[in-house]
Amino acid sequence: MATVSGCSKRETSAPATPAAPEKILRVSQRNEPATLDPQLATLPDEFFIIRALGEGLLTPNPVGGAPLAGVAEKWEVSPDGLTYAFHLRADAKWSNGDPVTADSFAAMIRRATAPGSIAPKAHLFAAVREMKAPDPRTLVISLKQRTADFPAIVASGPWIPAHEKPGIGNGPFVLSEWKPSQHIAVRKNSLYWDAARVKLDGIRFVAMDNGDSEERAFRAGQLDVTMAVPVTKIPGYRAAQPSVLRSVPLAETRYLALNTQRPPLNDPRVRQALALALDRTSLVEKVLQGGQQPAFHFVPAGLGDYAPGLRLTENAAQARELLAAAGFPGGKGFPRLELTAWPVSGGQLEAIQQMWRRELGIEVALAQREARTHLASLAAGDYAVAFMTAIPDCDGASDLFTQLTTGHAANYPHWSNPEYDRLAAAAQWAPAEKILLGDMPLIPLYFNSQNFLVAPRVKNWRADRLWTRFYRDVTVDR
Amino acid sequence: MFRFIARRLLQIVPVLFVIVTATFFMVRFVPGGPFTSEKALPPEILKNIEAHYGLDQPLWRQYLNYLGRIAHGDLGPSFKYANRSVNEIIGDKLPVSLELGGLALAVALALGLPLGVLAAVRRNSWVDYLCSTTGMIGICVPTFVLGPLLVLFFAIHLGWVNASGWYDWTDRVLPALTLGFVYAAYIMRLTRGGMLEVLNQDYIRTARAKGASEARVVLRHALRGGLLPVVSFLGPAIAGILTGSFVIETIFQIPGLGREFVNSAFNRDYTLVLGTVMLYAALLVLCNLAADVVQVWLNPKLKFE
Repeated sequence: MATVSGCSKRETSAPATPAAPEKILRVSQRNEPATLDPQLATLPDEFFIIRALGEGLLTPNPVGGAPLAGVAEKWEVSPDGLTYAFHLRADAKWSNGDPVTADSFAAMIRRATAPGSIAPKAHLFAAVREMKAPDPRTLVISLKQRTADFPAIVASGPWIPAHEKPGIGNGPFVLSEWKPSQHIAVRKNSLYWDAARVKLDGIRFVAMDNGDSEERAFRAGQLDVTMAVPVTKIPGYRAAQPSVLRSVPLAETRYLALNTQRPPLNDPRVRQALALALDRTSLVEKVLQGGQQPAFHFVPAGLGDYAPGLRLTENAAQARELLAAAGFPGGKGFPRLELTAWPVSGGQLEAIQQMWRRELGIEVALAQREARTHLASLAAGDYAVAFMTAIPDCDGASDLFTQLTTGHAANYPHWSNPEYDRLAAAAQWAPAEKILLGDMPLIPLYFNSQNFLVAPRVKNWRADRLWTRFYRDVTVDR
Repeated sequence: MFRFIARRLLQIVPVLFVIVTATFFMVRFVPGGPFTSEKALPPEILKNIEAHYGLDQPLWRQYLNYLGRIAHGDLGPSFKYANRSVNEIIGDKLPVSLELGGLALAVALALGLPLGVLAAVRRNSWVDYLCSTTGMIGICVPTFVLGPLLVLFFAIHLGWVNASGWYDWTDRVLPALTLGFVYAAYIMRLTRGGMLEVLNQDYIRTARAKGASEARVVLRHALRGGLLPVVSFLGPAIAGILTGSFVIETIFQIPGLGREFVNSAFNRDYTLVLGTVMLYAALLVLCNLAADVVQVWLNPKLKFE
């Protein structure tokens, strides 16, 4: 994929008035994509570009809620919820002029689910039992079981079809240049079915793997949209240029994984005590100060139609009682646990350490590790308390709940609860979360936010809580 | 002399072999792998991916396969970037680092040598103090402070150049100055020290006694000996400067090899780690060899053994 630069360039969209300057949006790109193949990509950063180059049957809704039409102009569900029929629009085309057909999608699903598949997000196709394409414009998918989030899954990035020839897509833009570690340029795709609505002539994803360099490039006028703002610069922008600073909530839960296999954390009372003793509001308001929201449950509300029933109630006195009942009155005899993390910003670990010391009389040691070393110790269960993040793969609750079922690769607490597994399989989210909060295999801390800069020349910049960007309506002045 | 150079060049082979072997196994014993991610992959997918890259084979066989590969000049596929080979990545990034390094070296020599000579000749005058102080500041101010300061002034305040990027010649100015300034400071101080030592030697007094002009004494007689410490410093320094500076490349977002070198370790991109380490090792050996040759040429007391 990396070497496709220029080989698929189509200069079919001659500007109406040659003198008018092109409308090119310049967006910061934090991670160099490993691939632009929708079925092989893993990072949100890769899907930033993939979303410009391709379109799935459905697309996420920019304001949340049920997905919107994509290549499928309409779709219906059988009454038992097991069969979905997608009707593809007649004018959906690949950037080389070939029609996008039901087979394009069937091939994509077969590819992701074939034995020996190396698609990292193959689990998003796991619900599919079989597909039929009665005609080129109809795709019928039957499911193994009722899957509440199925439309959200269909709208997720890995469900964007890939043409067998790299560099050809079915999205609003088409790849024109890829200079590794410099930039990736895409141009408007005049064959896109909704091309009339696309206002930009192109987007340039500028490689910026450092936050400070990114902010300086923004100030020098080289970038229109950044990925982040250095934490120390937020107050300055708030005071001097509030109009360029954006702060949006994310459906990303930052939590502390507790190793439930290891004493004393194998005692739910100890886990409860650690969770109840924290003051999340002061953590986000006094320490983080970046628009994060305190998390009193694990799965963000509003993922799909998820509404948490129970919320954790912080209570230091109760936490002390629980710790005493577990055999550690006033923290006496409690072993010195280690709280590990990848290098995270701004004193949040120290704040947690201090809250536990103050409220429970226990000491934890802090250790920041290189990211993959940290992730490897989580997966191996070689840790005590670990700072972690959970980002859902689609706009539905199932993904995060499934993650904590017995034996799941991302079940970092190495926790097992048969009742929870049953509820999660039956999509009984609210009771499942109740078990989570009772047994507390992990401590929810806060729902993360994205703080970033958007230049005044950019209009209609839109991104949702799951890092999906909507480029169709974006335009730039000049 | 040719025998000396040939022997040293042959020594590169065992040196590289030891480095490749040590790096190969060290990088494998680091926790985490190229496919470790925040959301751990399902075991069956991970197995397929590892089989795809041959990581499912016993380590000794992977090692032998790798040795066989590099014997043919193939550094293998990158584990991070799908469909890109390490040869391609190095071929893509090394020229950028060489250009940046070459420019920085030019800056360093153009500033460091004349100022060092000047400071030595005008020892304990205001010229010397000014040069020495500037040199000390150059050594003490790290590139990650100097770089952003230059960007703030020239790119954001004056708007003369871009804050980052690597497209036209103006993008070369600030990175080359930032990287060059630090080395200029070292070269300045080493030149001054070397010159001071040489200027006190008998043969300089002899040259003066014979009526040679001051310029001739300094440039013709003293400089040759005065440069010895600079040359031994430049050997390893050039290797470092040419393979890229991670910090400079990050500050200015330059697509050079230094960033790949460091990031490959974070990404556990095993083949890219090995490829860049080998390249760096070979360059280091070659630059040291060049420094030795130049030293013998400059110093008549030394001989090739």
